[in-house]
Amino acid sequence: MRVACALCLLVSAIAAAQQRNFIACPIVRDTKTVPCFLAEYQGELYYLGIQQDITAEVPLPQLKHEVLVEGRVSEGPRVCGGIPLKPLSISVIKEINPACNTILPAEPGIDAPSGTRGESPDTESLSGRQEFTVLFAFNDDDVEFGSIATVRKAAGYATKIKASAVKVSGYRATTLLSNGQRMVEKPGLAEKRAQAIATLLQGLGVASVSADWTADPDPGDGKNDPSRRRVTITVVP
Amino acid sequence: MITRALQMLKVLFLFAIPITLAAQYQGTRNTWIEPGSQETLPGFDVFDNYLGKLGVLYASGPVDTTGHPFFTPLGSNGRACVNCHQPTYGMSVSAEALQERWHATGGKDPVFAAFDGSNCPGLPQDQEKSHSLLLHRGLFRIPLPWPPQNADGSPKPVEFSIEVVRDPTGCNLSPKYGLKSAHPTISVYRRPRPAANLKYVISGGQPIVLTTGLLADHDPDTGRPVSMNLMSDAREPTLKTQAVDAIMGHEEAHESPSRKQLDEIMEFESQVYMAQVEHVYAGPLVERGGPFGLGPAALRDRQPGVSGDNGFDRIFGIFDPSKETDYYRKSIARGADIFMFRQFWLRDTAHINSIGLGNPLKGTCSTCHNAQMTGQGLSAGWVDVGTTNYPTWTEPDTWTETADLPVFKITCRPDADPHPFLGRVIYSTDPGRALISGRCADVGSIVMQQMRGLAARPPYFSNGSAKNLREVVDFYDRRFDMKLTDTEKDDLVNFLGVL
Repeated sequence: MRVACALCLLVSAIAAAQQRNFIACPIVRDTKTVPCFLAEYQGELYYLGIQQDITAEVPLPQLKHEVLVEGRVSEGPRVCGGIPLKPLSISVIKEINPACNTILPAEPGIDAPSGTRGESPDTESLSGRQEFTVLFAFNDDDVEFGSIATVRKAAGYATKIKASAVKVSGYRATTLLSNGQRMVEKPGLAEKRAQAIATLLQGLGVASVSADWTADPDPGDGKNDPSRRRVTITVVP
Repeated sequence: MITRALQMLKVLFLFAIPITLAAQYQGTRNTWIEPGSQETLPGFDVFDNYLGKLGVLYASGPVDTTGHPFFTPLGSNGRACVNCHQPTYGMSVSAEALQERWHATGGKDPVFAAFDGSNCPGLPQDQEKSHSLLLHRGLFRIPLPWPPQNADGSPKPVEFSIEVVRDPTGCNLSPKYGLKSAHPTISVYRRPRPAANLKYVISGGQPIVLTTGLLADHDPDTGRPVSMNLMSDAREPTLKTQAVDAIMGHEEAHESPSRKQLDEIMEFESQVYMAQVEHVYAGPLVERGGPFGLGPAALRDRQPGVSGDNGFDRIFGIFDPSKETDYYRKSIARGADIFMFRQFWLRDTAHINSIGLGNPLKGTCSTCHNAQMTGQGLSAGWVDVGTTNYPTWTEPDTWTETADLPVFKITCRPDADPHPFLGRVIYSTDPGRALISGRCADVGSIVMQQMRGLAARPPYFSNGSAKNLREVVDFYDRRFDMKLTDTEKDDLVNFLGVL
């Protein structure tokens, strides 16, 4: 029992050591093709993605804004000169910061990789009670490109089975940065997220939608914080 | 010596060709259609403009204007739809044509109606300066309630306060018509959009607007989502509601139009196609083997909702500079290539760079103007490209005493998201979509408009700030630091002029 616990602690410690949660100005590196987005933390460059279309796995950073990066160091070679992070969550900080304005010129030998697309639409046939999860950027209630497909899928399923109830639950969360600082999402956000999704579902023709929210923020552990910034949609047959 | 003389002759020859050709297009016939006119418009008509000829095609055949509600005044001020949507001017109207009307009618044409054909209804209407925005920029006054209202008249929640900083027209500070009047109103000034090629403009409604993550507006009759690309601020969802709004507003009707009248208006608008058919120097544009997108028949025959942001099925077809021998045709083809393929940094553009695609991104003109045949956006396309917001606005002298557009100060509430690239305090000559949505993120966002028949309807941009296509190109060159050479600018102008 003690050995198992020690192993758990060891695995947890390794995971924490690989985790990078920080806020920084994004850096754009030009290449022969499309630009890469990077960010620097404690003297090291991390790779955040390349320009691609709306099917990108992760929304991209914006110059003029700081970005909250939450990711785990991934094995493999550097990409665009930066250490890749996977899984990765990027949240653009809404207030503008004109100091975030670095574009590095293209350099020989540093090329953009090919783009990675997000998950393709799920075609599995669903049945019974189903829960769908919509994730949000930090301190944000905007429904991102990638999440629209989830909302439409939930709406389609609820309509198809003529759901007796569709319950929408909103949450806000805490992010534990690698430097030990805790950042709590703003009050009222859980309600705004739940209302935003409920409004979309109703607009998509779903009846019997009810919304609730948890006002208190979920605690942060520095490992799974992005997954707690969420709304769940429970479709009851 | 002989060589030098030959060179001079060559130069003279090169100048002589344009001058001679240009002379052919002078003396435009008077084609202004008066409201209440009784004439038959041919199924296909051609009109001269400063860059060549515009073709207007009525797909259902000749149009008898007698008693037709598009051509007949339905309100109290003598105006009809045709006042601002003239076939000669690409189913819009040019500032030059309005000046001609002013002089021809002594300012009595109903297009100069006090309500919105002057800078403000309270001004002396017999004076030219009271209509300066219409006469010099082709701008009509658009009075919008503040705060914006839901369909049932209830106020929408808004994320910002708005102050009038400059009011050269006197309308926004007017105790009768302004922001602090009994019916608080904001007056902005905008160009009328073409009432043609509309199947492309109204197609492609999606339930959720991709750029905002919010529900799209719906057709109140069918319940279906609409494209939200019809008006510069997307405030009216359908041709029908737009027609009602225009008749009750621009025509100052006291009662709603009948169902039959609305059906006739919509039926007419839905079959009008217009595009340039001839370039003043390059000659006829619609040819076998030429780019598929030119001319109004192509607009009639092709399908909406197609993306043209690619190399094989382009926005207006393939213009091949290598196959052209004529100077202007070569230039047009190079311009098309610049439009499709010349990359630059797209930066700080709300609803492009703020939606997860990254800021900046490397793109081309066609990255945003991606809808085949029109060059609008394929999704609901309001974008803050910077024409109306400080510091990129089109008005270099907006702060001076001679500036003619109002300036508003927008202050976002602390609990609202700021404008993504301008922050919480924004100065704007036209807050655009934000006056309808109430959102800070939308301040200065204007719906992209179709790029057809441009030669027939200067000035350009929703605020009429670009007197010609060169000024449009110059704005984008400045705004996005495109580093275009003079030749490249000429090429783009020539390309835009054949659409």
